[in-house]
Amino acid sequence: MITSPLYSPHAARETPVISDAAYLASLKKVTQYYIVTAFLALLIGVLIGPLQALNYGGINVYDTPILKALLKSYYQGLSLHGVLNALVFTQFFISGWMLYLPARDLGMRINMKFAWFTYLLMTAGLLLAAVPLLTNNATLLYTFYPPMEGSPLFYIGAAVMVGSSLLVVGQVVAMWVAWKRANPGRVTPLVAFMCVATWMMWAVAALGIVIEVVFLLIPWSLGWVGGVDPLISKTLFWWTGHAIVYFWVLPAYIAWYAFLPHHAGGRIVSEPLVRLTFVMFLLNSTPVGLHHQYADPNISVAWKTMHMFLTFLVAIPSLLTAFSVGAALEDAARARGGRGLFGWMLRLPWGKPTFSAPVLAMVSFILGGAGGIVNASSAFAPVVHNTAWIPGHFHITVGTATTLTFMGISLWLIPHLTGKRMPSVRLASAAVWTWFVGMMVFALGMHWQGLVGVPRRALVSATAQSVYRDMPIQIPQMLTAISGMILLVSALLYFYVLFRMLLSRRLDDGEAASPLPYSEVISPAGQHLAGASALVRFTEPLLALWGVALLLVLLMYGPVLARLAANAELVPGWRLY
Amino acid sequence: MSAPRSAGHRPAAPRLDHHTLEKYENVWFGIAVIMSVLLFVTVLASFLSGTAPSLSGEGGHHITGVKNGRLDPGNFAATPFATPGLRHNADGSYEAFVIARAFQFEPAVLKVPVGQPVTIHVTSADVLHGYFIEGTNINATAIPGQVSSFTTTFRRPGTLNLVCNEYCGTGHHNMVSSVKVDVQEP
Repeated sequence: MITSPLYSPHAARETPVISDAAYLASLKKVTQYYIVTAFLALLIGVLIGPLQALNYGGINVYDTPILKALLKSYYQGLSLHGVLNALVFTQFFISGWMLYLPARDLGMRINMKFAWFTYLLMTAGLLLAAVPLLTNNATLLYTFYPPMEGSPLFYIGAAVMVGSSLLVVGQVVAMWVAWKRANPGRVTPLVAFMCVATWMMWAVAALGIVIEVVFLLIPWSLGWVGGVDPLISKTLFWWTGHAIVYFWVLPAYIAWYAFLPHHAGGRIVSEPLVRLTFVMFLLNSTPVGLHHQYADPNISVAWKTMHMFLTFLVAIPSLLTAFSVGAALEDAARARGGRGLFGWMLRLPWGKPTFSAPVLAMVSFILGGAGGIVNASSAFAPVVHNTAWIPGHFHITVGTATTLTFMGISLWLIPHLTGKRMPSVRLASAAVWTWFVGMMVFALGMHWQGLVGVPRRALVSATAQSVYRDMPIQIPQMLTAISGMILLVSALLYFYVLFRMLLSRRLDDGEAASPLPYSEVISPAGQHLAGASALVRFTEPLLALWGVALLLVLLMYGPVLARLAANAELVPGWRLY
Repeated sequence: MSAPRSAGHRPAAPRLDHHTLEKYENVWFGIAVIMSVLLFVTVLASFLSGTAPSLSGEGGHHITGVKNGRLDPGNFAATPFATPGLRHNADGSYEAFVIARAFQFEPAVLKVPVGQPVTIHVTSADVLHGYFIEGTNINATAIPGQVSSFTTTFRRPGTLNLVCNEYCGTGHHNMVSSVKVDVQEP
């Protein structure tokens, strides 16, 4: 039970005390395993990145003997880069992060055997999928569109890995329901609320890819059915594939809302507004995927346009976030004596990596979000669809907004979990800033090349024809190549800090030396539903809202998929890599 | 000048409070909603003004051997894709049939007339391919078993690059050909 006699609604939350030390140690350990596995995947993934940046700088390095021994092709490297960074890194980090936070925020006891089982299952799925990826038997890129066919091991491993994230969903939702039963009439604390809403969104979103892989791709790759309908698969992929970007950024939003004000020395602006933001994401994240398919035939323009409209609506909670977090930072800076319309920004602790990482991630996300609206517009999309513009876009969204935030989180979360210390604030700060600068330069180069017409995901540096050599892309090519080198330096700095920290000796009690950095609140949601505002009462019944979210997705996807299924045209698989 | 410069928790100036914030929040929420709706309206306007490309949604293919926009990718013989290229129909309209296959387009060079609407039908013989004409907003997916159709008018004579922009295997980056926009009747 979390009742403190000194409770003040505006004060920073106290983490409920867990008296069972063995349980707490096990909870922290499983979280640490998730986080470290995530960063190991990221390490391999990002080391391939600079090679790709060189390709878009017009330099083909894939024919050098060392690389030839490691990678069969640019496309194999790209498949590893995409799967490890976008699927493995994110899912492992998020599973640890959003299992630990609600457990601590609610002070609930979870079944640790189940938690460990889920971690091991997810890791087993990863290892299964890694074998074909590393042996060039699943060079399908991150989207693995059929009828390009990979080894069945890849699809089975991916299904086990993604499926086990649904076990985390079950454990967290069950924990929250148990807390609700034990605390009738109480308002769910903010961090737990954000985690539960995000997991619920992911459960609805993940259905698409789970159906695609389990019912279409695994039977097809095993030869049990003669063919596959590429358009049905692609539509199911994007059911998950767009919402997954919210599954990547919402865990970062949790840090921006709940913990960043603390790092800045300020306060959370409004808990009710944060809750509204997350409910909007729960309802609106998934029924938008057709905006990835404007170029595909046999899906009516009317449905594509409806998904476009819903995509524009999902910009609203992000705009609310920009407002709220911006206000929290201004509040912090003015409390430190900041002045002027913009001058207050100088008073923020820019040299502190736990602060600069999430804030630079947010700055990046403002630009990335604006570009995302361009991509989602069916009038603009044909100009940029499948061009270098797109990787330019998602490296400043998931590649920075999410990844840089997670890097920043690791700098206080690992000390919190392990009692170890960040070895060097200066090196960590340098890693954060170079990541931001590198990604900005990369995005400039790639957006620019995309507008000129350079396609994404192609070994353009080795194209036999002169098409790309004749384009006016020398400057953006140079920017892209340089950005790859900046990012390589950044990654080396970051991983040096991370591994020095992990391999150092435990010096503190993490609970005391690096507590969860809860922030004070200007407008709290309150503790009791009875006296709470209408917005708080509307957002509290998450189970019902979850049902509405599922219904919306079925409405927006059901007719489209039914029509595709009625006209299904199964085609055989090919292996062209 | 004795402005408080300490980084302590007690500033001299009054800090943001709940009531001011609520007012700003509501205004910003209104602005966000209006911006999103305006965006949508603008895209609809571009449909009406014809500045957005028109990939025909579904069905409506009156092509021999193509049903509901689908065909058998292993048997083009019964369809006009058996002889890829441009056709001048009896009613005066132009239609072009294009096959994408690893790692080339058929025909190798597509010739089209200048200033005349042309309906281009694209399909794939194997995996997904992209049909992207450089310098235009023609950007369609070629899917085995399905036909992508769109109508466009090439306004200037010249040669445009046609590139595959969907990963299709080891030779993907060499899957480049061209569209020749001719002044004369092709």
